[in-house]
Amino acid sequence: MFYIRPIEPRDLDDLIVMADESGVGVTSLPANRQKMSAKIERAVQTFSGNVEPKDALYLFVLEDSETGALAGVSAIESQIGHQNVWYNYRIGNTVNASSELGVHKQTKTLFLSNDLTGTSEVCTLFLREKYRKGINGRFLSKQRYLFLAEFQHLFNERVIAEMRGYSDEHGISPFWEGLGRKFFKMDFKDADYLTGMGDKAFIAELMPKFPIYVPFLDQAAQDTISKVHENTEPALALLMQEGFRLNNYIDIFDAGPTVECRLQDIRAVRESTLWSWIQSDARIEISDPRGDVWMVSNLKFSEYRVIMVDGANFKNGQVALTSAEIDILGLSSEDQVRAVAIKPNTK
Amino acid sequence: MYIVRPVSIIDLPGIEQLLVNNEVRVTTLPSDRDKLGELLNLSALSFEKQLDNPRESTFIFVLENTETGEVSGVSGLDAYAGVGYPFFNYRMEELIHASHHLGVHVAAEILYLSHELTGSSVLRSFAIKKELRDTPYFELLSRARFMFMAQDLDLFSDVTVTEIQGQLNEQGDSDFWNSIGKHFFDIDFHTADYYVGIKSKTFIAELMPQHPIYVSLLTPEAQSVMNKAHPATDRTCQLLSRDGFDKSRYIDIFDGGPVLKNKTRNIQTISNSKQKVIVTSDLVGGIKYLISNTDPGKFRCTIGNLVDGIGDSVRLEKSLARAINATDGDSIRYSFL
Repeated sequence: MFYIRPIEPRDLDDLIVMADESGVGVTSLPANRQKMSAKIERAVQTFSGNVEPKDALYLFVLEDSETGALAGVSAIESQIGHQNVWYNYRIGNTVNASSELGVHKQTKTLFLSNDLTGTSEVCTLFLREKYRKGINGRFLSKQRYLFLAEFQHLFNERVIAEMRGYSDEHGISPFWEGLGRKFFKMDFKDADYLTGMGDKAFIAELMPKFPIYVPFLDQAAQDTISKVHENTEPALALLMQEGFRLNNYIDIFDAGPTVECRLQDIRAVRESTLWSWIQSDARIEISDPRGDVWMVSNLKFSEYRVIMVDGANFKNGQVALTSAEIDILGLSSEDQVRAVAIKPNTK
Repeated sequence: MYIVRPVSIIDLPGIEQLLVNNEVRVTTLPSDRDKLGELLNLSALSFEKQLDNPRESTFIFVLENTETGEVSGVSGLDAYAGVGYPFFNYRMEELIHASHHLGVHVAAEILYLSHELTGSSVLRSFAIKKELRDTPYFELLSRARFMFMAQDLDLFSDVTVTEIQGQLNEQGDSDFWNSIGKHFFDIDFHTADYYVGIKSKTFIAELMPQHPIYVSLLTPEAQSVMNKAHPATDRTCQLLSRDGFDKSRYIDIFDGGPVLKNKTRNIQTISNSKQKVIVTSDLVGGIKYLISNTDPGKFRCTIGNLVDGIGDSVRLEKSLARAINATDGDSIRYSFL
């Protein structure tokens, strides 16, 4: 059975492997033991309740309970921009107009901003290659909304996600070539590595501070603005399904778009409800991973767990669970669970 | 003989003729007849000191062939650039983007839209008949303005500048304009240039993008013509260089041409000029000087021989004295050639 739990110190080796596998562009997984270890430590402290909300990092792993192997990782930053300065370009507009000359020209303009500082971010979604089947990816991504729903007070009402920007088959980002590279001679993958190492702010400080008129960029760079990497398109689709929309902010290196949704407007947050449970050996297995699958979480902070069950098990205000599932969720008889369908509009 | 004198409204057709045939664009002389007429009027009032605000003074000079009365050249001078409006340039600067942490050190060149030269005195509107281009009269027409300034330095700014036309590509188009202005106007350089002529430079400049511009984002062609003078302006630049003018940190916002700059008191023609009383005679030896009278309202300047001595007077040929409206006992100003 696949289930979600908070990360633990023993997961370090597996996470390093995942960071190696993830390659260029998944910047929040540094392939560096020391950095990764620090990141895990921050998450462990967060789940222990020892971290201020502004510094909190919620790192979740997807584990196969039969083998103990980790299938993937996903995370929520409670308030970005406190550990490091958070930079985006805001896509704005400049109008040059003169009625006498018959000129009225709108020019897309990129404004360097720290506007998203303090917002909550869903980030670091990575599912290992061999587990990319069925519903695992959606589960790993969307389980975070149950956590957000249950612990809303720990998060900002604005929730964002940064999408990996377009780069070609050689890992070359046309936007980086057209802008960033002109300000310091560095390959995108090196800049990207430094970003993953937590040095993004260092690099950002080398970037141009004045607004950039988009027509000054070459065509390839212009075409890359707000364009996601093809590997990221499924993740974007999932976010859109939940109500996230492009918000006119892009990454300063690869121009990948940021999407945003109000926490309470996220579909899975809005639709999630509390249920009692009963133990039932007659409970129904998930028949179709693409069908009516639900996520069920406990309401515990430090021992947060999420599993998937078939929608047919919800009856009369109760959800039927097996003893193994009850074990994983760590439920006592009085405990309620929070549940929501993975796909919108199924129940 | 050629003399430089204040323009008069009757010179208008002569000036129009000059502009048609001139190799370098003179955007500061409007091709529209009414506008040009207004400018000549303003010049007349400036010479006569009839303006309520002397800072609005603009002086237009013509080079006249005294035998034929023909207008052979024109040059101009503004006491105070802008006059109630900003005088636009790009100021070139460098910002250092450096990080010890990352071992990076990059200089980013930036163009800032600047009004800093507003209030400078400006040399403008230079055009001369093609056949006179390689004669001393080119120099006369250009430097006569300094002789005029020397007479009334208080009227002028401490700083004098001039905008030199930038380089155009083989199609006669400005790569600098194409890389900046065109994005914001959707009109080509010559159309923009036309509007500068019939409206004003400030009018167009106010439509230019307000944020600083990173040079590294401009096309290589645009970068390569920044601060480069059009070859047709070589003689002008040489003369100005002899007078102590240098390239500044400013360039034109349309074609990227250089702005030359000097402290007014350091202009060689001015600082080396002397004022003495004349004694006229029929035959004079001596050597050639730039010579002008000392009456700004009836200003005349020419090139001719005079004999300088250690006293307070110089000897000048009668016909030359007549040509600059001076008689025995008058003061004249002269400067090296």
